[in-house]
Amino acid sequence: MSVTRRQFLLGSSALVALAAAGPAFAEPAKGEPIYLGVSGPLTGPNAQYGAQWKQGFDLALDEINGAGGVKGRPLAYIFEDTQSDPRQSVAVAQKFVADKRIVCELGDFASPASMAASPIYQRAKLVQFGFTNSHPDFTKGGDYMWSNSVSQADEQPLSAKFAVSRLGLKRIAVLHLNTDWGRTSKDIFVKAAKELGAEIVATEGYLPDEKDFRSTLVRVRDAKPDGLMLLSYYSDAALIARQAKQAGLSLPTVAASSVYSPKLVELGGDAVEGMFTASRYFPEDPRPQVRNFVTKFKAKYEKEPDAFNAYAYDTMILMGQVMNEFGFEREQIHQGLAKVKDVPSVIFGKATFNPTTRRVSGAMSVDLQVKNGKFTFYEGGAAVR
Amino acid sequence: MASWFDYTVNGIIIGNIYALLAVGLALIFGVARLINFAHGSVYVVGAYAGFVAVTQFGTPLPLTLLIVVVVGALLGLGIERFGLRPLQGYAHIAPLLATIGISFVLDQLVQLFFKPDPRALPSDLLNIRFQIGSGTIGALDLVIGGIGLTSAALLYFFLRFTKLGWAVRATAQDRDAAQQMGVDVNAVNRTVFAIASALGAVSGLLVGMYYNYIDPSMSFQATLKGVVAQVVGGVGNVPGAIAGSILLGVVESYGIALFGTSYRNLFAFVLLIVVLVLRPNGLFASRRQTPPEPMTGTFIAPSKPVRIPPRTLLGIAVAMALLPLVLPNPYVLQTLTNAWLYGLLGLSLTLIAGTVGLISLGHAALLAIGGYASSLLALDLGVPVGLAILSAGLITAFLGTALVFPSFRLRGHYLSIATLAIGEIVSLVILNWESLTRGPIGVTGIPPLSIFGIDLDTDRSIYWFALAVLVILAALQFRLLSSHLGRVLRAMRDDDVAARSYGIGLDRYKALAFAVGSFAAGISGAITAHLYSYINHETFNSQLSILALTIVILGGMGNVAGAILGSVLLVGLPEVFRVAAEYRVLIYGLVLLLLVRFRPQGLLGTV
Repeated sequence: MSVTRRQFLLGSSALVALAAAGPAFAEPAKGEPIYLGVSGPLTGPNAQYGAQWKQGFDLALDEINGAGGVKGRPLAYIFEDTQSDPRQSVAVAQKFVADKRIVCELGDFASPASMAASPIYQRAKLVQFGFTNSHPDFTKGGDYMWSNSVSQADEQPLSAKFAVSRLGLKRIAVLHLNTDWGRTSKDIFVKAAKELGAEIVATEGYLPDEKDFRSTLVRVRDAKPDGLMLLSYYSDAALIARQAKQAGLSLPTVAASSVYSPKLVELGGDAVEGMFTASRYFPEDPRPQVRNFVTKFKAKYEKEPDAFNAYAYDTMILMGQVMNEFGFEREQIHQGLAKVKDVPSVIFGKATFNPTTRRVSGAMSVDLQVKNGKFTFYEGGAAVR
Repeated sequence: MASWFDYTVNGIIIGNIYALLAVGLALIFGVARLINFAHGSVYVVGAYAGFVAVTQFGTPLPLTLLIVVVVGALLGLGIERFGLRPLQGYAHIAPLLATIGISFVLDQLVQLFFKPDPRALPSDLLNIRFQIGSGTIGALDLVIGGIGLTSAALLYFFLRFTKLGWAVRATAQDRDAAQQMGVDVNAVNRTVFAIASALGAVSGLLVGMYYNYIDPSMSFQATLKGVVAQVVGGVGNVPGAIAGSILLGVVESYGIALFGTSYRNLFAFVLLIVVLVLRPNGLFASRRQTPPEPMTGTFIAPSKPVRIPPRTLLGIAVAMALLPLVLPNPYVLQTLTNAWLYGLLGLSLTLIAGTVGLISLGHAALLAIGGYASSLLALDLGVPVGLAILSAGLITAFLGTALVFPSFRLRGHYLSIATLAIGEIVSLVILNWESLTRGPIGVTGIPPLSIFGIDLDTDRSIYWFALAVLVILAALQFRLLSSHLGRVLRAMRDDDVAARSYGIGLDRYKALAFAVGSFAAGISGAITAHLYSYINHETFNSQLSILALTIVILGGMGNVAGAILGSVLLVGLPEVFRVAAEYRVLIYGLVLLLLVRFRPQGLLGTV
């Protein structure tokens, strides 16, 4: 759902009232911890994402365990490094499945590693909760595969609306990561943008380790677009923006929400100034979950949180609530995910699963622009003429 | 028309960057006859040294450069002294493996110290930009080009007009003769490593500043592009490396212009193959260049293999088959299942690399072909899984051999680099041939393993299946090695000129061996695909090719039992080191280095 600022403020004041009524002071948790298994990259090329997950998890655990944990017992996780390599993620899957302390599994990061392990979790009836797995077929691996990752079928039509209807782009050049995520996003974005009446003049897929975009940008320029759409992560988006500036290509640029990170500005500098993106939340967001998350995150880590921090945090909070409501046996969690309603969430506002797709829909969306090196709420209209 | 000018300029700019990497690699190759896989790691260390200098101490560019040069040179000296010198006199394969181990260790250390997040590496150069065509080039572009050219010129003078430079060239031409003439070969090696590593470190700094972006995992790509560039120019040839880099940059840029961004690397690697096949000495080799490696008999360490009586082997196989009954721990079974599947890959490579002497660096491509063939047969044509796996093995045998056939005339390192390129090409074709392979989305819903209508859906049954396939293929390979054919293959490895004069048709025998080897790899890939239920072009990536080679060298080249032992160790050790969390890859790298140091002929020895 796309939200205007007005609705945003209205909705959030209601939530402030709700949050204030909740159980504020509980006994800290004690006793034998309840363990979640996390399978993800701590070394190798994707190690940065594993490190971001940890920060999000730890912050959520401070909160959960400070407020009584899960039915009085502390919640904890065991993080096994897989380098996001399928050979290791299947071994870790077997390890978790055999470890009776593990009540639910979170991860892995990349699709090949995550989906290779799915048959093992499915056979053993242990929930595999892929909280960054946007591959459209991830939850089709079986009824034990669940995900609260923002579905691209949700996000990309919103991006298209932002780019076409609000910013007025008519001839769009799309640059996308040539991965399952980037490719899925591109297909959905292109379809949505065309339905809104825009023309897609170029699509360029690039490999994740690509650093040089100068020639790609010449090709893009020759297609005479009036705006760029980047389906990128923050590191590539920063590189593209810098090189576009050097190539003398200054066009309104919209980027997928995955660029939402303070690192975008650090790496991109001046070049990302004016870039548009949508995000699930932003630091000045008045929603109480967001206020709470951003304030505590800054206090603990002395930096702004980014999208992956938020996914990890949200997931841990969700798990805490599911276990508190429905119990912490493996099967209880599996059942609980289908039943849990309206879990407070940074990403979704309130998260409820669709028991058929085993996904959550209705992610929040705010339109942002980078201004003076910060993500700020975008209040303007058309960016083209 | 104007666009073609822009594409050319952009190609030259990126070629400029490749040149910095390629020159260092070319120097080391020229003198030490070694593809330095640690070069990319030196590049990363250089980038981070610069990062610390700039962000912590605010050093200006000239001072930063100096610091990075010193750090790089010291690192080069360290690598030479502790990583490679102890391996002197060993066959060439040992230092090659050592550089792979060193790169693991260095990359991991950087990641531990600096965290894996990418960092910004700002440059304090004035932000002046010059209009060229429709784009601009900045001061940093000129600095990069200037440093590339200056260092090439300095090197030229050093090699031509100084005594140490003469020594370096003499050593490059003939190491033993140089030593007999009183050249201190070790001093030459030290010098070369120091210079090359200083250059590598500087390129890391400059590239980091150019993109305002550094991260610890950028080393592999850097090595890859540097190797391609220097081979295009002619291995070991410094001016050639620069020309080759620029050519590579321009060809990539034109590739993007013609077909789009996702074809970029395809162009780079196709260029490499064309150059290797048509002019194996590189485009810019002069006639006085060293002849295409007389590697025969020197690349692989001859040694006496450890004799394991067949009865013991049989005993081990039976024990392994009984294991699930005694120890039904699914984690252990899964790890061993992985080891069996990689053992198949090891069998394949140990035959091709060890017995025949074709060191393949692109073996993961065979897994990918097998995996895709079997999945697509089962999904799109409804072929039963068991039959699909078998067909995948045959398809891989055929396709793999056909792909590598034009490269059979190459020897030693050249063949290795050609296979590296073929591996990358296969992965890129899989990515781009969407109508067949589903492109980046990958193949989902691959049916699980079943043979003769029996579903293998327990950890045990999968374990037994993988073990059985491994045992059957290993037994066949044993049989093959002790036959007349096996002797022919080894004869070709040990002296191909002699073999040819005995009337052996080299290409046919190589093709035969490659087909047999590819079959095992294809089967391994196919089983893996059915186990994973999902594969895409990244499932079988180039790191796997390196792992395959490590397995084979560790076990002992050409040694069937060694390949299986190597696989068990290399798949098992990272699992054993799990307790060490973030440090485990570091420990793995160190263990690898120690093994190379103390047992370069492999644990069970070369057959």
